[in-house]
Amino acid sequence: MIDRTSRRAREVTRRSRRVLRVARWEASRATGGVDRRTLLTALALLVVAGGVLGVGAATGAVGLDVDRDVYRVGVDPGSPYADAVEAEPALTAVPAEEATLGSTADLLVREVRADGGSEPVGVVVRAVDTRKGEAAAASFEEAVEAHNERLMAAEPNGTAAFPVTVTLRYVSRGSTLDDGEAFGGTSGTDDGGDGGGTDDTGSDGGDDGGGGSSDADTVDGSGSGDGGSDGDDGGGDVAGDGNADSGDSGGNTDDDGNDGWWPFGTDDGSGGLAVPSIGGGAFGADLTGSPGSITPPFPFASLVLAFAFLVPMNFLTQAYGSSVLDERTNRRGEPLLVTPLSPTEIVAGKTLPYVAVAVAVTSLIALVVGGGAISVLAVLPIAATFLGATFVGAVFARSFKELTFVTVAVSVLLTSYAFVPAIFTNVTPVALISPLTLVVFDLQNESVSVGEFLFATGPTAATAALCFGLGLGVYREEDLFTQKPVTRKFLDALAVRLSAVGDGVRESPPTGIAARIPGRVRGLVAVAFLAACTIPFVFVAELLAVAVLFALPVTVSIPVLLVVIAFVEEVAKSVHLYAGFERGVFARTDRVAVAVGLASGTGFFLAEKATAVVQAVGLTELYVGRAAFGSVAGLSDLPPPVLVGLFLAPLALHGVTASLSAVGASRDRTKYVLALAAATLLHAAYNFGVVSLHG
Amino acid sequence: MGSRLTVARREIAGLRAEKTILLAIAIQLFIAAFSSFLVVGLVSMYDPGALDGAEIEVAAAGDAVEGLERAAAEVPGASVTRYEDPSAARAAFDRNAADAVAMATRDDGGGISVAVTAPDATVETTVIVVQLRNLLRAYERTERVERADSLTRSPLPLPDSTGTSPYFTFTYTVLIPVLVFLPVFISGSLVVDSITEEVDRGTLELLRVAPVTIGEIVDGKALAAVAIAPGQALLWLVLLELNGTPVANVPTILALMTALTTLVVGVAAAIAAAAPDRRAAQFLYSVAVLVLFGGATAVAGGPTNAVARLAIDSADPATTLTVVVYAALAAVAYLAVRRFITVNGIGT
Repeated sequence: MIDRTSRRAREVTRRSRRVLRVARWEASRATGGVDRRTLLTALALLVVAGGVLGVGAATGAVGLDVDRDVYRVGVDPGSPYADAVEAEPALTAVPAEEATLGSTADLLVREVRADGGSEPVGVVVRAVDTRKGEAAAASFEEAVEAHNERLMAAEPNGTAAFPVTVTLRYVSRGSTLDDGEAFGGTSGTDDGGDGGGTDDTGSDGGDDGGGGSSDADTVDGSGSGDGGSDGDDGGGDVAGDGNADSGDSGGNTDDDGNDGWWPFGTDDGSGGLAVPSIGGGAFGADLTGSPGSITPPFPFASLVLAFAFLVPMNFLTQAYGSSVLDERTNRRGEPLLVTPLSPTEIVAGKTLPYVAVAVAVTSLIALVVGGGAISVLAVLPIAATFLGATFVGAVFARSFKELTFVTVAVSVLLTSYAFVPAIFTNVTPVALISPLTLVVFDLQNESVSVGEFLFATGPTAATAALCFGLGLGVYREEDLFTQKPVTRKFLDALAVRLSAVGDGVRESPPTGIAARIPGRVRGLVAVAFLAACTIPFVFVAELLAVAVLFALPVTVSIPVLLVVIAFVEEVAKSVHLYAGFERGVFARTDRVAVAVGLASGTGFFLAEKATAVVQAVGLTELYVGRAAFGSVAGLSDLPPPVLVGLFLAPLALHGVTASLSAVGASRDRTKYVLALAAATLLHAAYNFGVVSLHG
Repeated sequence: MGSRLTVARREIAGLRAEKTILLAIAIQLFIAAFSSFLVVGLVSMYDPGALDGAEIEVAAAGDAVEGLERAAAEVPGASVTRYEDPSAARAAFDRNAADAVAMATRDDGGGISVAVTAPDATVETTVIVVQLRNLLRAYERTERVERADSLTRSPLPLPDSTGTSPYFTFTYTVLIPVLVFLPVFISGSLVVDSITEEVDRGTLELLRVAPVTIGEIVDGKALAAVAIAPGQALLWLVLLELNGTPVANVPTILALMTALTTLVVGVAAAIAAAAPDRRAAQFLYSVAVLVLFGGATAVAGGPTNAVARLAIDSADPATTLTVVVYAALAAVAYLAVRRFITVNGIGT
């Protein structure tokens, strides 16, 4: 026993030493590829760009207003409304006498004056009768509101300009905060308000870290630790400065643009990366100011910072993909393959430096933006998935060009998969499908439970592992150095994981765990296992489908979703069977087809049931979510026999449909496609039945 | 010319054989589909009222509560119920009878202070806060009018509110530029790959012994890369058009994006010629494109904004001039790059 353990330990040491050797070699090669000259050139480019932007910012020619001047407003240059139009980037003023509605202007603005009055008493707006006209009118209305806020901010009489002061507080229902405290805070606020309204409130945000002035008391007195959250996040770095600024823009009067639709163009966005103000202000902190300064809780700044974690991944995957494909051109990797190193060791060694870089860069970003260990841990599975997907792409690709397309596809898909759900961080639990949500939580100083962490990172990590597994299957001489189409390599990669079923097919000697399974069922177990492995991909694909169809009306989205989900599951259950028949691992008989179909359906069913964690996180509260994962929700009040029947019904369904496509797959490609379509329809019909049963 | 076309045809044949152009189109389709989800998400955060009329119920108390009630009458989607004292209002909040609590009191300075309590961290919080803001703003407006005498300049009267789809501005200022410029980046990347791959596999040597000059080889590769770009953009603009989003000035937009593609392809060719290792070249190319486009977008009248204004039909002569300038810039840059490569060769 001890003998065996020590042998194991020696083996592990030996292996890790090998992996490290490959890693060192890879690291030295990679740094040789991107040499000092390249880095200096890149640095010079960045410096030049920074300089140009700096000068531009100083002269006021630079601004990230993507919507600059998209609507043309005809307005008399002498009118007070012209100032409002001027200040709004999206609007451009056209002199009223030159403006013709529809051709040179989208909106005509004419003020109404009382007889002899100098101030306008009303305004008449005529817009083109199109959606553009409507949008222009709405934009104009906002511009006027923003203009009014600016006018009022300049008033000497603060109370008349901002007669209403608001203290906003977030509490949970039934919490024990007494009202006397709230009133204490309110009266404190007024003291600040007298001196000129919201400016004082703005400076509160900045002073809070120090927490000494009477204004700071205003905020602190009324409740739950604004100063605390500011102090934590500030930390004396750049974010700390943005912090004080954002306090200003939160309390200040000119951030009126924030009820606009596109946050990136608003004053809020350009007012600095305001983590603490918005992050801390999201929940738990108090906000005081005029009604215009109220910002809905939206973790915009945290999101922007979370995005910063994703940017380096794109560079990393490019370098990694190049390195893997480099091995394959001109059979350069062949010497390595004939060494005693196993493919797993080679790939692990080649990947290790990139993982290390990912960790280093992520930690650095976390340090800069104020994230903690959770941020780093949450980003790691994302990095692994980026690398895993790129690895598969680089092993499958035939040329650099093809690799470029694969890399772009990987970047776009994974970035949106990670980023888009995180937008909903404070809104629905569905946001937790992305590990980036954890980063947003972390930046907002919210706690993350272990369950949440596992739910968010589990599928991503599993996807990464499976990607590497898939690619490793074809990391062998006959696939690495040949120009096979991507689809054929994909089938190869799947077939490599299968074992023979039926008579008269070639059999390769089993290795590893497979050798311990009796030969008769070995093939079927492999089929079931492979089907189970598709679950993370199916999960991701279904969530993406839910996400994409989310915007459609329910009457359209539900039926489309049911068919899409059925299709995804049917493909997942049958594509490896097709690979098995095509590569001659399975005998082409109906008996074998039905057997592997049933095995595949069972494997898929078991894995699906294992993912009932979905329910725990409350995903099923969403209506669309219930359609996708309906079988786990709302069954508790049924009698046991029905329950068992319902529990086993999906098993029967998966078995039947998988066998159907397997029989098709055992013939040829056309028959497979037809059988797959039939299986999809059958599955969709079943899904529809379940959904209408549940209501 | 003939040899250039031959090289270009060979490039495109390579792309067709790999069918990867389909992947590129799939990516763009994905972006287009996902963006609707994205925008619904963002809009529901920022302007929940825009999606569906959310109704909120505010429990109010305090001596200035009539003002709140009057304001509630003006604001659709918010109603105010008066309670005798703060604790009664708070009790209503705690038993879910109200979405928020507002204590409106007059203070000594002549102002009004409102202490608002909103529920913490629930799905509806954003909606509630947005509606509260509308309510309080209406209140502020009426109070301001009453104090107009103390103001040196009174606020401008607001125009009547009109409904609009938030998706509109997003489509033109973000989605269309993204869809138009993605093919530009892909084309540049393709040229980097194409040149570094020839060097790497040693096939460039074979091409050199053929009766073509190095300039013609670069021309051919650039031609192929530039040729495939406008088609992809046109596909998207046509799809948007069919989907009910009219896109104006399509020829001008295509001219602009072709000019930019030429520019980017020129930069890519120069980088690939100077640094023939793919990793270094792609890295430099990514940085260069990031710098070029980041800079150009940030500066007023950048290509992103130009495309948005052209597409939404708000272009003025200055926008057209921008397109001409970009075209001239692209031509000059490409010729300079070609001269550079002819003189220095590739991979030296």
